[in-house]
Amino acid sequence: MKKIKMISLLFILILTLIASGCSSNKGGNETEPAANNGKNTEAAKKGEKVTLTIYSTTNDQGTQDVMEEIGQSFSKEHPNVELEWQFPANDYENVLKMKMAAKDMPDIFDTHGWSQVRYGNFVADLSDQEWVANLSDAMKPIVTDAKGMVYTLPLNAAKDGLTYNKDVLDKYGIEVPKTLDELIAAGEKIKTESKGEVIPFFFSATDAGSLAQFFDYFATPLLISAKENHAKSLLDGSFDWNNWTPLAAKFKEMYDKGLMSEDVLTIRETDRPQLFAEGKIAFSFTAPGFVPDALKINPDVKVGIMPVPAIVPGDTPTFSGGERFTMSAWKDGKNLEVSKDVISFFAKPENLKRISEASGTPAALNGITPDLGIYTEYYDMYKDIRVFPYFDRVYLPSGMWDVMQTTSSQILGGELTPEDSSQVYKQEIERLKAQQK
Amino acid sequence: MRPIRNSTFSLNLMYVPALLLFALFIYYPFFEGIKVSFTNWDGFNPTYSWVGFDNYARMLEDKNIGTVIRNTLIYGVGSTLFQNLIGLLYALLLNQSIRTRGLTRTIVYLPVIVSPLIMGYIWYFFFQYRGGALNDIILLFADKPVNLLADPQINIFIITFVNTFQYLGIAMVIYLAGLQSISKDYYEAASIDGASSLTKFFNVTLPLLAPSITINIVLNLIGGLKLFDVIIALTKGGPGFASQSLSTMMYKTYFGAQDAGYAAAMGNLMFFMIAIISIAALIYFRRKEIQA
Amino acid sequence: MKTNHKLSIVLSVLIGLIHILPFYLLITTSFKPMSDLSSKWSLPQTMDWSNFTSAWEGADLGRAFINNTVITVLSLMGIILIGACAAYPLSRFQTKLNKFVYLLFISTLIVPPLTILVPLYQFFIDIHGMNTYWGIVLLHVTFSLPMTIFLYTGFISSIPRELDEAAMMDGMSRFMLFFKMILPLLKPVTATVLIMTGVGIWNDYQFSVFFLQKVEMRTVTVALASFFGPNANRIGWVAAGSLLAALPATMMYLFMQRWFISGLASGSVKG
Repeated sequence: MKKIKMISLLFILILTLIASGCSSNKGGNETEPAANNGKNTEAAKKGEKVTLTIYSTTNDQGTQDVMEEIGQSFSKEHPNVELEWQFPANDYENVLKMKMAAKDMPDIFDTHGWSQVRYGNFVADLSDQEWVANLSDAMKPIVTDAKGMVYTLPLNAAKDGLTYNKDVLDKYGIEVPKTLDELIAAGEKIKTESKGEVIPFFFSATDAGSLAQFFDYFATPLLISAKENHAKSLLDGSFDWNNWTPLAAKFKEMYDKGLMSEDVLTIRETDRPQLFAEGKIAFSFTAPGFVPDALKINPDVKVGIMPVPAIVPGDTPTFSGGERFTMSAWKDGKNLEVSKDVISFFAKPENLKRISEASGTPAALNGITPDLGIYTEYYDMYKDIRVFPYFDRVYLPSGMWDVMQTTSSQILGGELTPEDSSQVYKQEIERLKAQQK
Repeated sequence: MRPIRNSTFSLNLMYVPALLLFALFIYYPFFEGIKVSFTNWDGFNPTYSWVGFDNYARMLEDKNIGTVIRNTLIYGVGSTLFQNLIGLLYALLLNQSIRTRGLTRTIVYLPVIVSPLIMGYIWYFFFQYRGGALNDIILLFADKPVNLLADPQINIFIITFVNTFQYLGIAMVIYLAGLQSISKDYYEAASIDGASSLTKFFNVTLPLLAPSITINIVLNLIGGLKLFDVIIALTKGGPGFASQSLSTMMYKTYFGAQDAGYAAAMGNLMFFMIAIISIAALIYFRRKEIQA
Repeated sequence: MKTNHKLSIVLSVLIGLIHILPFYLLITTSFKPMSDLSSKWSLPQTMDWSNFTSAWEGADLGRAFINNTVITVLSLMGIILIGACAAYPLSRFQTKLNKFVYLLFISTLIVPPLTILVPLYQFFIDIHGMNTYWGIVLLHVTFSLPMTIFLYTGFISSIPRELDEAAMMDGMSRFMLFFKMILPLLKPVTATVLIMTGVGIWNDYQFSVFFLQKVEMRTVTVALASFFGPNANRIGWVAAGSLLAALPATMMYLFMQRWFISGLASGSVKG
């Protein structure tokens, strides 16, 4: 019985120690990073063991395997460095937000297109690295700011448009649409002639990212890509949001005409590979990320990709682009120099080639020619199509994606009119901009 | 003899560890959270500004808050109602010495043991439009499958049903315990007075079960009002805001809309709502206990 | 309430069938290979164990189970010790102060975890508790204490004070009295506490996902959640994994059933 008394006294002691420990640590944390920076990089050079945490957004097993293998090659050359990978998948952004709030960032992490606007205060400047010279012309302005600071290494460059089932289009004699109206007409044709068996446009209101993606894609042809456009007014804040309404109206039209599945409100993105493989979907408004799963179900399904159709008369289709996977270094990381070395290692042409091939996405640096398999003929066919950075990354503040999701699902549910949704955009942008002050 | 004051004081030391844990891990973060509700913090950047009561004013104007509060109340009160009614009936049934009672009790309690997230998904696969187990049966009789989860009037009740199913085992078990502690003498006395089964139930069983009723109702209310996992698994709060509860709305506002200040204000609203409702229920049922 | 015995048996069988429904679906799904798209009701054609092996390897369930076990056992030890200790004075000495403290403890049940998640996370970083066993154990203990203290206080008040006084007359101090006499008497309600809090800790997701981020520290529910991908739900794996995860908790429940209900009887009913 004395033992139990001792244990309980110990418990109380430990708790008081913790309580006192936390107050001293709070002070310590402020000064630690700077001091450690110098200490540990020297330690790393001397050969002391260093462990780096790397967070990546990729969900796909194939890409994850390739990244880990490349990491292992690095560790072979530098045996004192151990790489710890984390793939939080759907929770990535939430986990990173918590870590930002707690000032506890990973040594290396993926900035998925938001290296400047969201993560800008947390990343180290990479402009002194050798690979910077090889950044493609499209990529350079995206990852570099006016002062020349380089925020991230883009591992691959998205060139995203719509994905379609080629068998379905061939069956109903559809040509790849070049304008939004042509696209809607194609949808109506498919619906009528397949007697409702085929879903012309796949959307999921539950996984509302699929809806937001539609708006993100078509915002460019609506407002940016034509000769006369609203780019300037969007950037200086004078944009009249009533100009957004026509797009929302077209979206509603697609729903009203029954061109989305009858259970669009509850269907989920996880249903897509199966339906696509069975030839029950014509167009998906996303990059072909789901295709490998569809191929597992039906290896013979024919996939095609196309640029985003135009809206303004006289305009041509476009791709939305920018970084897909990236690597940035935490500027307050204990092993900043080693982290930069790891990033440079990943920037080697042979490694970037592997990543591009595993993810089916073109390279972001010059001089790399990955074999993109079934998509090669399309990327060749469309090599002269203009690539605009993703609309929301340039013209909208961080945090608007959720608004885009919610308003579009409310439009489908009938709770919000297209006109009102434009007003919601305006309000929310003001709120988000006020946060940055 | 030791002076009483000294010994009670040193005895109270025994709850100091618990107090310390609560202070560190609950009270301190809770007050930090209240602070956030007076800012426009986005949840991750170190900079933010104080906005006073703006977030609370927003709640009054927010068109969706009405739906969300209504849903939260339905989930809380609805689950509590059904869990207690059904739990009590099951307890009455399974308190008798029939051979099957042990097995049935275990089966009813089983969902409590499995994570609510997983159970939520099993039910999703039951109510799913495409290839859901329920539609498989319906298609035998009708030619169109039903999409219950898409209907804002119905999906709320499905969520309440799934939550009830998940936790009614607990209500049943607490009632069983209560029933077993009622001395048989009371029933014998009632029989001698010529009481029927129904009279015995209302005059003997129910009053003596009062403590169990209080606990069940208060616990179920708190759990139901906080409902989160089941909603995410079944509808993710959709379509739109139709099936959101305060919990899911808070999560979405914090992480999705980058609106930590507003989410914190919602959190405080939720806390007060739950506190008021559960304390009111506690006081009401405690009084009934005393009367019984 | 007198009912026909046969009717009762029929009713209980009916109830059993209704309530076993989701588990039937769970079991059939876990034994069907991923390519089998037949109706959820149909029995699998063969007992395909591949889902179980894939789930085990794919989510590294072996390590996750070890984490779960260590965390749950340590938490339960802390819960019982700290909870019972706290309940004793709150039950025996109902002074104004203690009544207030009791209400304070119980009211923490109401706090929604999300409201305190971020400040808690920051605090955890400061005390270097991230990705540690002791960190998450302290967290679980704290959040399980309200229910525990509630049950123990109720139970202790049903132990006659005469026992305490008799022991003290024999010269025992309060502390010794607690450990030598009261604690052993708490066995039934301890069974209840173990089941009610243990299950919650075993199945925990919302704390584990944020506080145990290192892959080798992951718990079972978090590991299983990784199977819900954006492109394809590997439901066969999830079903198999969930069955495996539910096994230990189920066995513990079956083992302790006897005391569970009687513990509840004394702990809760006698207020």
